[in-house]
Amino acid sequence: MKLSLTPKLSTFLKPSLASTPLRRSLCSSSPSPPPPPISLKPQTPLFLRPPIHSATSSDLQQWQDWAKTLASSVGSTFANSDNGPDSTLLLRELNWLVDDAVQQGIENGQRKIRLRVSLEELYLLWKQRIEERKPFQYIVGCEHWRELVLCVQEGVLIPRPETELIVDLVGDVVKGEEGLREGLWADLGTGSGAIAIGIARVLGTGGGRVIATDLSPTAISVAGFNVERYGLQDVVELRKGSWFDPLKDVEGKLAGFVSNPPYIPSDNISGLQAEVGRHEPRVALDGGVDGMDDLLHLCKGAASILKPGGFFAFETNGEKQCKYLVEYMENEARGSFCNLSIIPDFAGIHRFVTGFHK
Amino acid sequence: MRMAMAGSLWKSSCSCSYTCSLVRVIGVSRTSSGAAAAILHASSLFPPPSMALKIQRKSSLTKWRWSQQQPQLPEDRNSNAFFFIRSSKYGTNSISTDGGKGYLESTDQELMSQCEMGTFKTSGPGGQHRNKRESAVRLKHLPTGIIAQASEDRSQHMNRASALSRLRTLIALKVRNAVDLDGYSPPRELLQILPKSSSIRTSDIGNQIGPNNPKFVYGMQALLDLLYAVDGSVSEAAKFLGLSTGALSRLILSDDSLRLAVNELRASEDMKPLR
Repeated sequence: MKLSLTPKLSTFLKPSLASTPLRRSLCSSSPSPPPPPISLKPQTPLFLRPPIHSATSSDLQQWQDWAKTLASSVGSTFANSDNGPDSTLLLRELNWLVDDAVQQGIENGQRKIRLRVSLEELYLLWKQRIEERKPFQYIVGCEHWRELVLCVQEGVLIPRPETELIVDLVGDVVKGEEGLREGLWADLGTGSGAIAIGIARVLGTGGGRVIATDLSPTAISVAGFNVERYGLQDVVELRKGSWFDPLKDVEGKLAGFVSNPPYIPSDNISGLQAEVGRHEPRVALDGGVDGMDDLLHLCKGAASILKPGGFFAFETNGEKQCKYLVEYMENEARGSFCNLSIIPDFAGIHRFVTGFHK
Repeated sequence: MRMAMAGSLWKSSCSCSYTCSLVRVIGVSRTSSGAAAAILHASSLFPPPSMALKIQRKSSLTKWRWSQQQPQLPEDRNSNAFFFIRSSKYGTNSISTDGGKGYLESTDQELMSQCEMGTFKTSGPGGQHRNKRESAVRLKHLPTGIIAQASEDRSQHMNRASALSRLRTLIALKVRNAVDLDGYSPPRELLQILPKSSSIRTSDIGNQIGPNNPKFVYGMQALLDLLYAVDGSVSEAAKFLGLSTGALSRLILSDDSLRLAVNELRASEDMKPLR
């Protein structure tokens, strides 16, 4: 499937974008008449916008001083209240914001500062970061993940560093296994498309392909933008729908499938770090009463979607879920799977369940 | 030792810029046979400042947590608190010197499998619960205790790659191989970093590889092996390489970490530092 995304960035890079409200509602796909139709065009991350604004160095310095003061005033308040970022981290983010938004150069022998957003907007953005606890990644519109820079926006889960490992797990499995490397893969609930793009790059040019699915139209559009940015339109196919629904035609044919489904128990949602709980899509986080609703659904479908010898990897909430899933797959799906393993993330938390279809 | 370290908290300086190493060379001494031995201590927290290789302290102390997922080495590999790395004038009496070159020649993946990886200590369940962009990575090479870290990139993956490349540099700087000076002939990787003025460098060696080339570390390790074998004497090493003393000095001064390592050796031999 080819996505009919706007081919040229310039068409949605119009300066007028800067003056439109930054936060758009993107959750409904059928808006009622009065509000303007909701655009599913992905927002352009800061670092890809043209540097069309200018500022004097003293004005920029003034903004930076103000932003530093605001960040410093946070101290460890957020950290103490909900394990949020402290000043040190916020100041590091401020440097990254400058990296993405400011371009310094020499023009006609004079030092020039060019901005990718107006100075007024920089004030607004940093205020949103501190006062609304808007995630930094939504402020700059991107996340650095593995060797990739992925576009993200509200309505799409920000890919986590832990999840980077799933791509390595697939890389290990396909090494020397032509049958898997050249096969068909799926990333269910792809969000920004992170895992799907990571896997597509690991599969290389051997003819392997990846289907990435998501229920959310915003996610599909953002994932499509990212897939195109990495030139993988011919390798990654996006399909809208819930879990296995859009995969009916490939039943029993997948060489592998992976997923980072919502796995947080519903009770924990209200206590989440504000950046996560207030801003990221609940549909990508809330896994039901014990956080296992979607994981169990995926486990149940694994045997029929995978071809013999096919591989799966799921991210989970931790040790408890991992153990439960492994036991479940050993007992309920008796004899369907082999080499079931629990794999820890870099912090040592039991994070992933992997296995093979017999 | 390895078991005790796994999962324990480490305090270290966390730097936003180039942090090279927390390995301490706590002493360079002479063995009875006349071989120089560099003693690395993997866990001493406060080295004499002059001995620390290149430590920048920029921000507050940070807690680290080591991953426990690297079961690949036999238990006894890191069972000594001290790790002796020797170089010998006479290739015959050296011990455990097979590793140095071997580590450098390992693929990234092999090298990684010899490492314990530490990330910022995360309290709580992590994963979807968390958004903190703490992407710093710290690698501890278990066979040698050498530690490399990187925190300047926004992606953990990229920090891991930088830490790994720094680890290679540190291994080149710190792990010595025995050199037999009788009939010494420089290995190819060393010839490649020599300037063309070298009389033993033949045209098939190709262009000179500079410090910015990732292959420079291989030559750097071989050069340090030779310098240790001649007790830090630049003029003597220069003879083996077909160079003038001045030309070899310039090569050593062209890379900061190489210069520091050579001057550290020369200091231990009561020689003047190169400038």
